[in-house]
Amino acid sequence: MASKDIIIGIVGSGGDGVITAGEFIVSAVSSEGLYSFLLKSYGAQIRGGESSCRVRISQNPVESQGDELDALVVLSWSDYLKFEHEIDLHATTVIVHDEEDPIPDDHVARWADHPTYRIPFKRLAKEEMQTVLTKNIIMLGSLIELFGMPERGIQHAIDKKFGKKSPGVVAKNLEALACGKRWVAENIKKTDDCFLEYTPSEPKLVMEGNAALALGATVAGCRFYAGYPITPASEIMHWMAQHLPAVGGTVVQAEDEISAAGMVIGASFGGIKAMCATSGPGFTLKAEMLGLASMAEVPMVIVDVQRGGPSTGIPTKSEQTDLMQAVYGSHGDSPRVVIAPTDVEDCFDTAVYAFDIAEEFQIPVVLLSDQFIGQRKETVRPFPVDRRQVYGRVKPSEAELVGYKRYRLDTPTGISPMAVPGMAGGQYPASGIEHNEVGDPTSRINLHNAMTEKRYRKYKYIVEKYSFVRRYGDDDASVGILAWGSTKGVVKEAVARLQAEGYKVGAMIPQLLHPFPMEAFDQFLAGKKRLVVAELSYRGQFLQFIRSRCTITAPIHHVARPGGKPFTVREITEALREVL
Amino acid sequence: MAIDANQQPAAADAGQQPTADTGAKKHVPTDYKRDLKPVWCTGCGDFGVLQSIYRALAELDILPEDVGIISGIGCSSRLPGYVNTYGFNSLHGRALPIAQGLKLARPEITVLAVGGDGDGISIGMGHFPHAARRNVNMTYIMMDNFIYGLTKGQVSPTTPKGDTTVSTPFTSIDSPLDPVKLALAFNVSFIARAFAGDLKHMTDMVKSAIEHKGFSFVHALSPCPTFRGMDEFKRIRAAVNYVEPSAEELASKAAAFAREEEFVGKINLGILYRAARSTYEEETQLVRERSLKSRGRAPQMQELLGEFMP
Repeated sequence: MASKDIIIGIVGSGGDGVITAGEFIVSAVSSEGLYSFLLKSYGAQIRGGESSCRVRISQNPVESQGDELDALVVLSWSDYLKFEHEIDLHATTVIVHDEEDPIPDDHVARWADHPTYRIPFKRLAKEEMQTVLTKNIIMLGSLIELFGMPERGIQHAIDKKFGKKSPGVVAKNLEALACGKRWVAENIKKTDDCFLEYTPSEPKLVMEGNAALALGATVAGCRFYAGYPITPASEIMHWMAQHLPAVGGTVVQAEDEISAAGMVIGASFGGIKAMCATSGPGFTLKAEMLGLASMAEVPMVIVDVQRGGPSTGIPTKSEQTDLMQAVYGSHGDSPRVVIAPTDVEDCFDTAVYAFDIAEEFQIPVVLLSDQFIGQRKETVRPFPVDRRQVYGRVKPSEAELVGYKRYRLDTPTGISPMAVPGMAGGQYPASGIEHNEVGDPTSRINLHNAMTEKRYRKYKYIVEKYSFVRRYGDDDASVGILAWGSTKGVVKEAVARLQAEGYKVGAMIPQLLHPFPMEAFDQFLAGKKRLVVAELSYRGQFLQFIRSRCTITAPIHHVARPGGKPFTVREITEALREVL
Repeated sequence: MAIDANQQPAAADAGQQPTADTGAKKHVPTDYKRDLKPVWCTGCGDFGVLQSIYRALAELDILPEDVGIISGIGCSSRLPGYVNTYGFNSLHGRALPIAQGLKLARPEITVLAVGGDGDGISIGMGHFPHAARRNVNMTYIMMDNFIYGLTKGQVSPTTPKGDTTVSTPFTSIDSPLDPVKLALAFNVSFIARAFAGDLKHMTDMVKSAIEHKGFSFVHALSPCPTFRGMDEFKRIRAAVNYVEPSAEELASKAAAFAREEEFVGKINLGILYRAARSTYEEETQLVRERSLKSRGRAPQMQELLGEFMP
């Protein structure tokens, strides 16, 4: 039976080119108009070491990485063993491996029922192509024949990747591709039914969350970026360094995380939209700057691409454990906004929202992404980049510049018009010290009360204007699931799966996390008898946070586990079944 | 109050006025004075530094709205509040990152970073060499009082070894750092030292620093009578040694270093080192040009999305 939705996993050592192979598949299927979803997983080694990827390919839009693999391709079993806990197989997952590297003895019996093909990837590379480097391309060629990977698309991807180098490199790789395909056609009799069936359509984009986020920021008008290298956020800096100068912007690799945040505040004080991106440990270092942006009311966007923590943790893997520091980190009562993208395309949109909120409300905005979204590749339908209106900063009028009060209190929204250097009459001292309306330092408690209240007044209007949540499934279901960020994909798919079985389930994924969209949450909660809350946090930061906002009377089934491996659709479906 | 939908405040949009000769009278020091009484103690050297900034800005005739003065935390970091320019009294040790961010985002603004010895070479030391190696076109005035004043008298990174302070009741056992020698090591492109007890000279130093193209550093000796005694002014005045190195000596780091080592107990005042180097703003502009050259022209936003097409 042919399939419209298959998942292939490829495992090897760093030098085997398995990630490149996965990227070729994603490019190939996207240029054929199909949808795909690529997850990469590495060991901690800088070069070499183990690496793996899983790519899901479908005729229809895919929401997640799916469940078990339909096919497992192994170039090295010793590397496979390092990933064994991350790779789920079903009863008939097809196993493909290099004939020189036999299945480990203790796995042979366990996998007796799996259709298995042994292909001489390494030997063909050496003997037919004269270089072992072509091993991954030969492997790709075999997948064309074995599982129906789109040949034309892979050829196009090879041409695009190597075309700039030389025609010879392209020809050599195309030859290797044909070699792998031919060997399978001549030597393997297929005994499984895993084969992609599809109808080509309009080509689509391939995006990573980090790049989509950087593009969104640029479209929103960000023209200053300061960063410090950190996994898994560095791709944001790389994209900015590649593109921002061409649109007149500036990118600085700062000496440390604190400096990067400080430069952003300085640029924004100068009236230029500015952003920095980091991961958990870097965010902690920026916490004091976050307090400064709150106090001085300087717009600022800080991206936190979360990784396993605490401390160095697992830099290459995802977790949802920076929520508490995003919402509460820093000293004093320091208002900030926290929003979380839910998929790759959402990284673009939430980056635009982040700037809109930061600029309009003169408040720091934390964009809380994670490694799962940031570093995966996803097929995205092309869209007009100006689909969202971009808002700017409130500036003082001519009249307001006479006896200008930078921090005037009598504004209904808490937003006081902000002058920028160069504006005559707008000179003022910004400060992290508590200040009066013109910016002079004060330690008077009546002013501290009034200014604190003013800074928090903005929340009401932010919630009114930017109460973004995603709702899926049945609004009137008595069973609901609540999750956030990158868990959206598996939740949406699990809900659809259960609906197809005749159950009624409703899901809510808030993109605006702080201030919490209470009204939307109340609407979701209405009529719910039982709830599932799912998060990649052992401590359960999300549920703790929600409970600090309201009382939930419905019983809660809390699925809270450490990250490293994203939730599967099956995990979420089973959790919901327990309360259905 | 108007919502400005324009996402990018262009210089003209930001109310930038041409600074060319419009026949207006030149600025006087009081034009830069802001109506707020300093918190500093009587006799504090910081008053002299503040005056020198008023005078230097007036002599250079820079519009107050075209200046940004960024500070960290400390007695001296209160300074931006006393100047009628844009100012930012930020975080302890972080004046330089914020000042560089402002300058790189708005190169037409004259940017000064000010702060103390603790702010600059203790908690914020990590930023100093990097601002120097970028050679951002701005001025850093370090007001050195050899003590933590705002927190009431603890030992600082420039306090002489053997001094008694509230945190070193049995005398300080740490060797002091010399900001000028550090600046030489960091390859700062303009280094001067001045003394709050000589306003005319300090004004000249601040003025030359602002005029220098690149990252300029003024080590401003600014005594603290409250925590280091009324005699500190006298002690420094007795030790000062005005220098006017030749053009050749000015360009030599070795000569500058040797001069600092030469007279034990003497404090050299004057421009100590100066070099011409490209600024970070010039370099970032070159990056923009290289980037445009590699693409042919500036991309439309929709084209940036198109780059993701496989």
